[in-house]
Amino acid sequence: MVLELARPRPIWQIMFSTHHTDVGLLYLVFSLLAMFVGGAMAIALRVELFAPGAQLIQDAMTYNRLFTAHGTTMIFLFLLPSAAAVGNYLVPIMVRYKDMAYPKLNAIAFWMIPPAAALVWLGMADFGWYANPPYSVISAPAPAAEMWIFGLKVLGVSSILSSINFVVTILKCKHPDLSLGKVPLLAWSFLTSSIIVLAAMPTFAAALLMLLTDRLGVSGFFNPAVGGDPIAYQHLFWFTFHPEVYVLVIPAIGMMYEIIPRFSRRPIFSHSSGVAAFIILALVSFASWAHHMFATGMSFTEKTVFMVGTLAAVPASAMHVFNFLATMWNGRIKFATPMMFAVGGIALFFAAGAGGVVNTAMPLDFITHDSYWVVGHFHLFVFGTIAFGTIGFVYYLFPYITGRMYNEKWGVVHFILAFVGACITFFTQHILGLFGMPRRIYDYPEIDAWISMNQLVSVGAMIILVGMVIFLGNMIYSMAKGKPANLEDPFGLGGKYYYPFAQRNPQHGEGGY
Amino acid sequence: MAHSNWAEWIYLGVVTALLIYVGAEAWNVERIIDHAPADAEIIIVTGQQWFWTFEHEDGTKEVGELHLKKDHAYKFEVTSIDVNHDFNIPEFVVLMDAIPGRINTVWFSPNEAGEFEIQCREYCGLIHYNMRAKLYVEDV
Amino acid sequence: MSRIFHLSIIITTLFIIPTVSLAFAAETAGEYIDRKAEIWNLFFRMMTVAFVVGGVIAGTMVWQVWRFRESNPNSKPTEYEEKGEF
Repeated sequence: MVLELARPRPIWQIMFSTHHTDVGLLYLVFSLLAMFVGGAMAIALRVELFAPGAQLIQDAMTYNRLFTAHGTTMIFLFLLPSAAAVGNYLVPIMVRYKDMAYPKLNAIAFWMIPPAAALVWLGMADFGWYANPPYSVISAPAPAAEMWIFGLKVLGVSSILSSINFVVTILKCKHPDLSLGKVPLLAWSFLTSSIIVLAAMPTFAAALLMLLTDRLGVSGFFNPAVGGDPIAYQHLFWFTFHPEVYVLVIPAIGMMYEIIPRFSRRPIFSHSSGVAAFIILALVSFASWAHHMFATGMSFTEKTVFMVGTLAAVPASAMHVFNFLATMWNGRIKFATPMMFAVGGIALFFAAGAGGVVNTAMPLDFITHDSYWVVGHFHLFVFGTIAFGTIGFVYYLFPYITGRMYNEKWGVVHFILAFVGACITFFTQHILGLFGMPRRIYDYPEIDAWISMNQLVSVGAMIILVGMVIFLGNMIYSMAKGKPANLEDPFGLGGKYYYPFAQRNPQHGEGGY
Repeated sequence: MAHSNWAEWIYLGVVTALLIYVGAEAWNVERIIDHAPADAEIIIVTGQQWFWTFEHEDGTKEVGELHLKKDHAYKFEVTSIDVNHDFNIPEFVVLMDAIPGRINTVWFSPNEAGEFEIQCREYCGLIHYNMRAKLYVEDV
Repeated sequence: MSRIFHLSIIITTLFIIPTVSLAFAAETAGEYIDRKAEIWNLFFRMMTVAFVVGGVIAGTMVWQVWRFRESNPNSKPTEYEEKGEF
């Protein structure tokens, strides 16, 4: 791969580069920045909820703006770009092509993200990351709402562009000797998730435009005061964003498919079952969107259809878990940091999936809907599974990107803090939800059980924070002062590596990696 | 790779069987609780930023509190006049979105006397966190 | 034999007892369905399933992590390492 730091270059050369490793680096740096911004917002929210009454945040409006920005940041500015980073680095190498199919488009797709981030962060809308009308039409303050809408519009176009790029790179630019069935599972994960984006994202793009014209008062699609239907927006929104969950989780599973066989020193148990599970997940991801809307007054029949559609996603996810466990079986597993994050991620993936099955059992929605149970449930996915896979993969790529090793001891400390913190925070949130605490509330009444559990959740969040600060310190220090990595085998696994890590970046000059 | 897949097929069979069990149980319970009894008293619940109004069958209105009788059946007709809210009595697992332009129904029968919380579960703006009401169930 | 015994206990708790209790509950006429009890009972049945499956999966993972770690005295190079295929 590339030695970014062994041969320092002026920063503009990286910024204006269209080479896939450079764009990948930009994606990675930006997404980690966004992770820390979004994390800081989460910490502010948790400090506020530590006890009833105003703690850190003095008014409800600021709190509402913060949780909106937190959700938007983490999903669109951290998770999607970090997946794109990994894809940019590895997909061309895995399909044996010199670059992405459309390098300039690739750079454009990345450079659309920072302006969109500026819109989201400077605007600070207050309607939640889902912007449900009629609130977002008649009640949300301008210009924050408009800025959010435009920001999301730009991000949607960016993810469509990068998805087109991945699909074309994998299907059209792969080496003629490489049949599609032999394409590694990480590249397969990008193929399937990109196809989901292409199918799902236009719906949300349309909904955003309708929302904007509704706010301008020239239409009334979602405004009941002029005969519109707010439920229609929820259908359009979730038709995009339930599949979007799979867009986030499928690359993370792909990353685990890269890490787990390598560190178990065995090939993947069944490549074909991994491919099959990706394809099934991509298809059934479109069969379950309305399970987010059971409480909007859906009929018994509608609920039943979407419950079955949701349950249908479970066998494919279970196939992935089986594949991971069967790969580790009879292996000789080296528990370096990336492997720890991958295995921890599988454990939390199961817990999140089991919670999802409970959510979709129709009558249980009356208990869990819009309560802290849901918050705990999806954070087990987005943090416990997706961010774990991604962070593990950042550790895994670190020697290839920087030419130096991160500090393994601090990496292990980071994993333990992140895992323990995630368990404390998100499992407690499940129980908090069972005690009836709603989501998105700035303050809560003095109920003893709520107070003690909120404090536990906040302590868990602080543990995660400490882990993340260690992560940041480890990255920065090791980039400059870490031990030079043995690029033939940085993790001491023996054997030969699967992809040619010595892919050349033309800007590195002669003789460089 | 030489390996057999029988273990995976058995595993998938077990997973699928469990899912069918979960789905069937959920379907059955939903069926049981779905139909309101014919003699249920209708209460119109209206959410607005940021309080609840309750209208009984005899036309009496209550704001911020709701008085019901123990062991009677009540059917709530939930609606809203501004933005989406969600009518929720956590103690009795009653929950239904209040959506402007729509009437959603949910029914229950309180089997316990006492004082219970009513809250809004759907984000509805500035004072969403304090959009609360009290439910009084009286023993008669 | 004991395996069959355990299996029958699990089946009894999961299926037979709820069915029987449901059948008897339906006979008490004149009362309304207890929505709260129905939903929470379903919740606890689902949780029983989730924790049993979770216990099996988590147990398997913990055992694998313990048994197949490279520092385990019993660990040996995988067949793929020996053949240089990995």
